[in-house]
Amino acid sequence: MPRTTLARPTPRTLTLGLALASSACVTVTPAQRQTLSTPEMTPVTEAEEEVWHTHFEAAREAGFGGHGGAGGGCGCG
Amino acid sequence: MRLKDRSGRGQRTGGPRLWSLVTWLLPLLVLWGMPRPSAGEDRVIVRGNYYREASTRVLQPTVDVEVDVPDERLSLGAAYVLDAISSASIASGTAQVTGGDLVFTEIRHELTAHAGSRLGEWTVGGFFRYSSETDYIARGVGVSASRDLLARSLTLGLSYGYNFDRVYRIQANTRVRAPWCGGAVDVGLCQSGGRGVGHNLHQVHYVAAHYTHAWHRRVLGLASLEVARSLGPQDNPYRGAQIPTSEVEIHPLGRSRVALSGAVRWAVPKVPIPIVLEPRYRFSADSWLIRTHAIDPRIHVRVLSHLRLRARYRYYQQSASFICIDPRAEVLDDGASFYCSTADGSFATADPKMGAFRSHTPGIQLVYELDGLAKVRGMGWLERGWIEATYNHVFQTNRFGNARLGALAFSLAY
Repeated sequence: MPRTTLARPTPRTLTLGLALASSACVTVTPAQRQTLSTPEMTPVTEAEEEVWHTHFEAAREAGFGGHGGAGGGCGCG
Repeated sequence: MRLKDRSGRGQRTGGPRLWSLVTWLLPLLVLWGMPRPSAGEDRVIVRGNYYREASTRVLQPTVDVEVDVPDERLSLGAAYVLDAISSASIASGTAQVTGGDLVFTEIRHELTAHAGSRLGEWTVGGFFRYSSETDYIARGVGVSASRDLLARSLTLGLSYGYNFDRVYRIQANTRVRAPWCGGAVDVGLCQSGGRGVGHNLHQVHYVAAHYTHAWHRRVLGLASLEVARSLGPQDNPYRGAQIPTSEVEIHPLGRSRVALSGAVRWAVPKVPIPIVLEPRYRFSADSWLIRTHAIDPRIHVRVLSHLRLRARYRYYQQSASFICIDPRAEVLDDGASFYCSTADGSFATADPKMGAFRSHTPGIQLVYELDGLAKVRGMGWLERGWIEATYNHVFQTNRFGNARLGALAFSLAY
């Protein structure tokens, strides 16, 4: 019966894993959110533009997603 | 007897009607009875989007209005989109089976109604969308829910959308609208209405999970996993003329897709002007063997106190679909013409996005916040408003050719 071996994690994978694990429970208090509340740091300010990007990318590319929501139907493909 | 029956039914349904009313009113009463958060923001956004490539031009004005009634516990919104698509004939020389030549000039109307509610740590929402053009009727519904955690540092969200569209083709010689069930189905056997093979229903089930986390007071991390399953006709009824080996374009009737995306926003500390760096990446794969990568780094700079600039560069590449990678497939892709056909003739396409290509998109955006002007006497209504101008240029290696994308938008809060 063949032995199953797990792939050994590379240093890059370990670093990424540790970084994600260490950030998992980070809490930024409301008093510390001055920078986070600026429009540059707020993805929702670009929501309308993302709808437009979803629209033309669906018509011109085979990829999908990455714009934060479902796209609308359009027969312009 | 009929009158008696109707009367009887009326008496019997009186109870359920009352309960139905209570069922609808109860959540609203509970909603109103909860502690009142601060009033939200009512806003109108007007956009004019523009797309231009060698053979197609799209003008797309949009209006989006959102109101809180009376606060963020219930937000209602509506959006209208008009698509004016002008194109050279995409069906030049189309075989008679699909109705002959067709000059493609199209107007599409889209209406969306959406509602959302923020209740404590939870945000829920839903929408209905209806879109109509001469040969395509699209309808979509969706729901979403998200939960704030870790003192609102972390937001986890889940959304589901369902599209149910009706696909038609316009016969150029008669201008008659006929249902389109996909290239694999004989046009004479295709039925309007119903579902399944031989019917013109195109369905999409879409599920997404979202993650947004403030990792630091200057760093925001975002990630999402999206899955979609499409069923029904997914080929274009007018492209057959460009495929010498087939009278019509034939794509499979089913397609599954998955996309993983991630982004980070980092406000750079200790710089003379506020700068935010935003690397983005998205990978997607589908059951037609297409793999895509999109790398989209952006930089946001607050040039003046009320003027923001955003520069971006997007690199996109995709592999070819299974229709084009069959070793025995017939393939033509010289930049000016494109088609692929499987060796057995089961599938054929002239859709450039079924082939391998890459694109480069530099872009710039300026946003002027109107708060400065709002300080002038009589101009207070401009407070929290903004004007936005965007330009992107797409350099791509497929038959669509290079493209220009522009947008002008303004928004007012009231």
